[in-house]
Amino acid sequence: MNRLGCLSINHRSAPVEIREKVVLSPQDFRSLCSRGEEVYALTTCNRTEVYWIGIDEHALLKHMAWLSGVSGESLRGYCEIYQGQEAIRHLFMVASGLDSLIIGENQILGQVKDAYRQALAAGTTSTFLNKALHRTFRTAKRVRTETSIGRYPVSVASQAVELACHIFGDISAGPVLIIGAGDMAGIAARRLKDRGAGDLCIINRTFSAACDLAAELGGKPRSFSALKQELLRCAIVITSTGSPTPIITRAMMDDVMKQRRNEPMIIIDIAVPRDVEPEAGKCYNCYLYDIDALKTIVDKHISFRQEETDKALAIVSAEVERFARWAGSLDAQATIRDLFFLMDEYIASEMGANSLEPGHAAIVEQKLRSSLKRYLHRVASYLKEHPTLTNIEQTRRIFQLDEDYQDRHKG
Amino acid sequence: MILWAVILFYALTGLFFITYLFWRKRPVVLFARGLFLASIAVHILLTLSLAGPAHRIPLASPVQAVNMMVLLASLVFIFFAFRRQTAVLGAFFLPVAGVALGMIAPRLQANGTTLPVMFQTWYPLHTVSVVAGEALFAVAFVVSVVYLIHEGIIRKGRLHWTAASLPPLRLLDRILSACLGTGFVAITAGMLFGALWASSLGVDLSQILMKIWAGAAMWLVFAFSLHQRFAIRWSGRRTALITIAGFLIMIILFVGVNMAYPGAHGAGLTR
Repeated sequence: MNRLGCLSINHRSAPVEIREKVVLSPQDFRSLCSRGEEVYALTTCNRTEVYWIGIDEHALLKHMAWLSGVSGESLRGYCEIYQGQEAIRHLFMVASGLDSLIIGENQILGQVKDAYRQALAAGTTSTFLNKALHRTFRTAKRVRTETSIGRYPVSVASQAVELACHIFGDISAGPVLIIGAGDMAGIAARRLKDRGAGDLCIINRTFSAACDLAAELGGKPRSFSALKQELLRCAIVITSTGSPTPIITRAMMDDVMKQRRNEPMIIIDIAVPRDVEPEAGKCYNCYLYDIDALKTIVDKHISFRQEETDKALAIVSAEVERFARWAGSLDAQATIRDLFFLMDEYIASEMGANSLEPGHAAIVEQKLRSSLKRYLHRVASYLKEHPTLTNIEQTRRIFQLDEDYQDRHKG
Repeated sequence: MILWAVILFYALTGLFFITYLFWRKRPVVLFARGLFLASIAVHILLTLSLAGPAHRIPLASPVQAVNMMVLLASLVFIFFAFRRQTAVLGAFFLPVAGVALGMIAPRLQANGTTLPVMFQTWYPLHTVSVVAGEALFAVAFVVSVVYLIHEGIIRKGRLHWTAASLPPLRLLDRILSACLGTGFVAITAGMLFGALWASSLGVDLSQILMKIWAGAAMWLVFAFSLHQRFAIRWSGRRTALITIAGFLIMIILFVGVNMAYPGAHGAGLTR
């Protein structure tokens, strides 16, 4: 477990100018994984993380500096480094969305899985990291199903979808109108598309901008003059234009709702200054939310997610402990194997030093082996039952396993 | 004895549905559904036992009518209980059903003698239609209450409440519309059958004037609601408010008329 390391460049530790340079994939580390070393790399818009087994931290930093073009010294300043259990805890927290800019966001798990697929294709992971990543998926799933951390949306578009679902059931059937083609409108439209909005209509004063966004999203561009016509047709409206005066007035909505025969309609106005007159929200069956109303809801959801964080952290801790037990048993097995190799070497050296007759030598070797096995069996059994880090380290120290290996490697 | 078993079953089922409203776990709703089925089975047994030795439809008294209304409404709600989006409606209906049955429990008894000949043609049609219509209005009432609660939650933006996951407004509105439409047809048919029955007996209408006015008032409230809905699309909140008002008027009239004409349409008609 102690061999596991993690290097994280994230939204807390590094500005976007650095994060955008350190974009790495598992393939970039293939050259480092020649002798059983393992590497897993994850890059998202908010973080770049590298997890490794059996690689020297300085060599890794040097390699990353070479790949990103950022000097090793400054890169080190932007890194958070975790070792052993802390590294695995960090991985679990990242995949569960607990380390994200928006706590509980669920896109990260998909990104962790994608990066794992790439690592498998590149062949940079093996037993330890494979197991660690499978445990990560399990932990993230538990956090998602056993807590409500990701249940309530915190982005404007997700909020619009949530509100629409409360009114209409789902958003896939009805047409959705996006007024504006700027950044905010674009983000909202993309999110709506991701959440299943099928029929997107985009209206903008500059028709070419509407065409561009519509082409990107597979929607339908309309000229600004068709606004009222589209309001009659669409049940979900998101508006975000730079207009200094409201483009949807109470009088217009009265007329629209009359012609819609009071069919329910939801309008999300994320523009500042507002695109929709507040009075329009008083029309019968018209649900109007401006940016302040949305912010109030989002703030409640964020505080709710934070309340759920404690439950999620408890799950992460339990899973870390479980993984540590598994990793401990893995280390214990390696130690037991090393002990028996040591025994073989000891017997071989003892037998080589004595000049016994062949018949006697075989009997002596057999006796020696069986005595040592009986003796080591007690140690092995204890280690198997109590594969704690302390026990493993003490065993290795008592039997000088690491020194022996170092000596032999030197030899 | 069996009546108290029904009340106990309804109370328990209601408790499970209320738990599900706040704690959305699949085993809870599965258990609630199973209990609901058992409640209805026991309720059917109770209703059959009320038919008495003459095997008459157990609608011979206002108390039996309430029992039948609760049973019919339960049959509608069991359909909702097995739909994912509408399962929580049971949390709002079952406590009301339990209270209604608890209130009639001391006076609920089986039918005694057989009906006179004059009760055997239009009378069953009249009572069954009216009670079915009233049961559907009871369903519409519960759905309207849920609609107003859910709309309030949406308008106040309290979507993070676990209990906020109520059926979508559009679905509630559709259920409301279907219940009002079907209930209105049943009530109208029931009133026509009642009129035919009274005319076949040659009843003096002045003797049952209050009953006629009460029926007409209730009919007009629901007719108004349906007219507004189909003519000028008063869907949603307004329909829900009219339905609640209409149902409360229906209850007041039901109690009032039965106090004025005790004995199952008896005294005035059989004279």
